[in-house]
Amino acid sequence: MTEAPLETRSTEPTLRVWGVGRRFGGLHAVNDVDLEIVAGERRAILGPNGAGKTTLFNVIAGDLPVSSGRIELFGHDVTAAPARKRARLGLARSYQQSRLFLNLTVEDSLYLAALGVRRGHLRPVTTRRDREMRERAREAARRVAIDDKLGEMVGSLSHGEHRQVAVAMALASKPRMLMLDEPASGLSPGERQLLTDLLLALDREITLILIEHDMDVALRVAERVTMMHEGRVIVEGTPDEIRANEYVHELYLGAPQRDE
Amino acid sequence: MRWNVLRSSPKTTIERAIGAIALVLAALGPLVFNQYWAHQILIETFLFGIAAASLIFLSAYGGMVSLAQTALFGIAGVILGNLATRGGPGGTSKGLHLGWDPTVALVVAIAMTTAIGLMFGAIAARSIGIYFLMITLTYSVITTYFLGQVTLVSGFSGIGGINRYTPSWIGDLTGHPNRLYYVSLVAAVFTYVLIRYVVRTPFGITLQGVRDEPVRMSSLGYNVPLHRTLAFGFAAFLASLSGVLYVWWSGQIAPGNVDLPETISLLVIAVIGGLARIEGAWLGAFAFIIIQNYVRGFTFPFLGFGGTLFGGSFNTVIGIIFLLIVLISPDGLMGIWDRALAARSRVGRAGPSAEAPARTGG
Ligand SMILES: Nc1ncnc2c1ncn2[C@@H]1O[C@H](COP(=O)(O)OP(=O)(O)O)[C@@H](O)[C@H]1O
Ligand SMILES: [Mg+2]
Repeated sequence: MTEAPLETRSTEPTLRVWGVGRRFGGLHAVNDVDLEIVAGERRAILGPNGAGKTTLFNVIAGDLPVSSGRIELFGHDVTAAPARKRARLGLARSYQQSRLFLNLTVEDSLYLAALGVRRGHLRPVTTRRDREMRERAREAARRVAIDDKLGEMVGSLSHGEHRQVAVAMALASKPRMLMLDEPASGLSPGERQLLTDLLLALDREITLILIEHDMDVALRVAERVTMMHEGRVIVEGTPDEIRANEYVHELYLGAPQRDE
Repeated sequence: MRWNVLRSSPKTTIERAIGAIALVLAALGPLVFNQYWAHQILIETFLFGIAAASLIFLSAYGGMVSLAQTALFGIAGVILGNLATRGGPGGTSKGLHLGWDPTVALVVAIAMTTAIGLMFGAIAARSIGIYFLMITLTYSVITTYFLGQVTLVSGFSGIGGINRYTPSWIGDLTGHPNRLYYVSLVAAVFTYVLIRYVVRTPFGITLQGVRDEPVRMSSLGYNVPLHRTLAFGFAAFLASLSGVLYVWWSGQIAPGNVDLPETISLLVIAVIGGLARIEGAWLGAFAFIIIQNYVRGFTFPFLGFGGTLFGGSFNTVIGIIFLLIVLISPDGLMGIWDRALAARSRVGRAGPSAEAPARTGG
C-alpha cells in the first residue's frame, strides 16, 4: 500500500478474509486464502480458469458457505450470514454467467436491484418510494448507457447489453463494495473501453473487486492485483509488480487468453 | 424463455374487446343462457377458474407448480362446513356442526385456509422443480386421508347441506341460483383483477425476480423463501374463495373432492388454459367443463355409437384432448391464442423492414 491516494482514505479494511477454504468433494476450489481490502481500493483478482476466483466471490458474497476460515465485511463477522444480509451491509456483485431476469424489463430488473437492500419488498402497494427506486434504476441504466432499452425484456437483448445490465444491476443498489466477475467477457473492444471508463470513473468511496481475464481492463483499473492458482493466492502486488513477475508470466500471461 | 409471453404481449385491442364482450355476456348470464348453462357450466367455470388461477399465479409469476391447490380448496370448504352447519334432525352428515354465524364462519374459513397455505408454503419454499411438485402432492394426499379418516371433521362421506348456511348479506342460494351465479362471477372478476394488480406491486415484481433468478435475488438482498411462502399463502387465499363457492354451489364437500383425480383435474384445467397467463384459468375451466358435460352424451352422428361409451371413458377423452393441446402448444389455449395474435401482427407489419417480434416460445 505505497500509493498516495490510499493514505487519504480510511485504512480500515472493508473486507478481511482469513484462511478461507471451500471444498467441492475432494477438490479444494479455494484453499486457505487471506485477503485484506481497504475502503475505496480497486483490486483485481487474476488467475487461470479454475483457479477458484468465482468460488472466492461466492463465499465472500454468501452464495456458498465456507468450508473453513472467517470473513469480515465492514467490520462485521459475516462468515455465517446469508447473502441477503451481506447485500444489506452494502455489498453488491455481478455474476460471470450474468444471472439476469430474462422475463422482466431492464427497468424492472434495475428496480429490483435498487429495492433489494431497502425495506418493503413485501408491500402489496406501490408507493412514492417505488418511484424513487425507479428513478435510481434509470440512473443506473444511464451510467452504463443502456437507458434506451429500459422498456425491453432483458431476454431479448444482446450479449453485450446483458453485461451492461449486469453491471447496472450491481450499481443500482448504491453499494459500498462492488464485486464484478469478468464483466468484460465477450465484449467488443469498444464496449471494453466503455466499461473501463466506467470503472475508472467510479466513485472513490466504492471499493471495487474485479475478476477479469482481460489484462488491459484489469491492470488499468486495479491498484493492486491478487493472483490465484489452484485455489491459492500465489502473488499479490501492484500491476507493475505483477507484470514483472516471472511466475505470473509462466502461469497466465504467457498462456493464450481465454474467455469464460 | 417460456414466460416471455407474460410481458411481451401487451393487451391488444382485440384482447380488450374480447374481454369486454365476455364480461358483458357473463353479466347478462342468466338472461342469455339457459338454466343448465348458467347454473351448472358457468358457475363451475367461474369457481374452478379461481382455483386454477391460484395455480397459474404461482406458476406464471412464482415459477412454482403446485398440486396443493385442490387440497386448499377442500380445506376451505371443510372448515366452512364445520363452522357454519348445525346438526340436529335430518343432519346425518359428519362434522362439528358448530353453527356459527355464516359470515364469521366464512371469514374464519378463508383466514384459516390462508394460514394453512402459509404453513404449507413455508415448508415447500426451499424446494424447487420436481421436489416442490412432490411436496405439494404430499399435501394433497395428506389432506385426502386426513378428511377421510378424521370423522370428527369430515369422514369418508364428508359434510352436506352447507349451502343452507349462507351469510345474510348474500341470502338464500339454494332457492336463488342466480345469486350464486353473480357471487361467483364477482369472485372470479375480483380474483382476476387482484392478481393483475398484485403482480405489478413491489411484492409481485419481486416474486417474478424470484421466479427468474432466485440466487441473484438473494444476493440483491431478498429473502427468497419468505417471498415464496407469502406467494403460496396468497394463492391459498384464492383457492379458499373457490372452495367456499364450491360448497355453496354443491352443498357438500368430501375427501372425494380433493383426491388425486381431482388434483390432477385442476392441473389439467390449468395446463389446458395455459400456465403462463391468468386468463387461461377460466378458459381452461370452461373447456374442461364443456368437455365433461358434453362428451358424456356425445354419439357419433352416423355410426350411432358413443353415448355411454364416452360417458364411461370421459377421462380417456379428456386425456387425449389434453395431450393434443399440450403437444400443439406447451402454453395451452392461451399459448395458441398468443401465437395467433403474433402471427397476425407479423402479417400486418409485413414489409422489407418487418422483423419478427420477440420469440415467445422455446
Ligand atoms: N458448485 C461447484 N461444484 C463443484 N465444483 C465446482 C463448483 N464451482 C466451482 N467448482 C470447481 O472449483 C474450481 C474453481 O472454479 P471457479 O471458482 O469457477 O474458478 P475460476 O472462476 O477461477 O475460473 C474448478 O475446478 C471448478 O470446476
Ligand atoms: Mg470464474
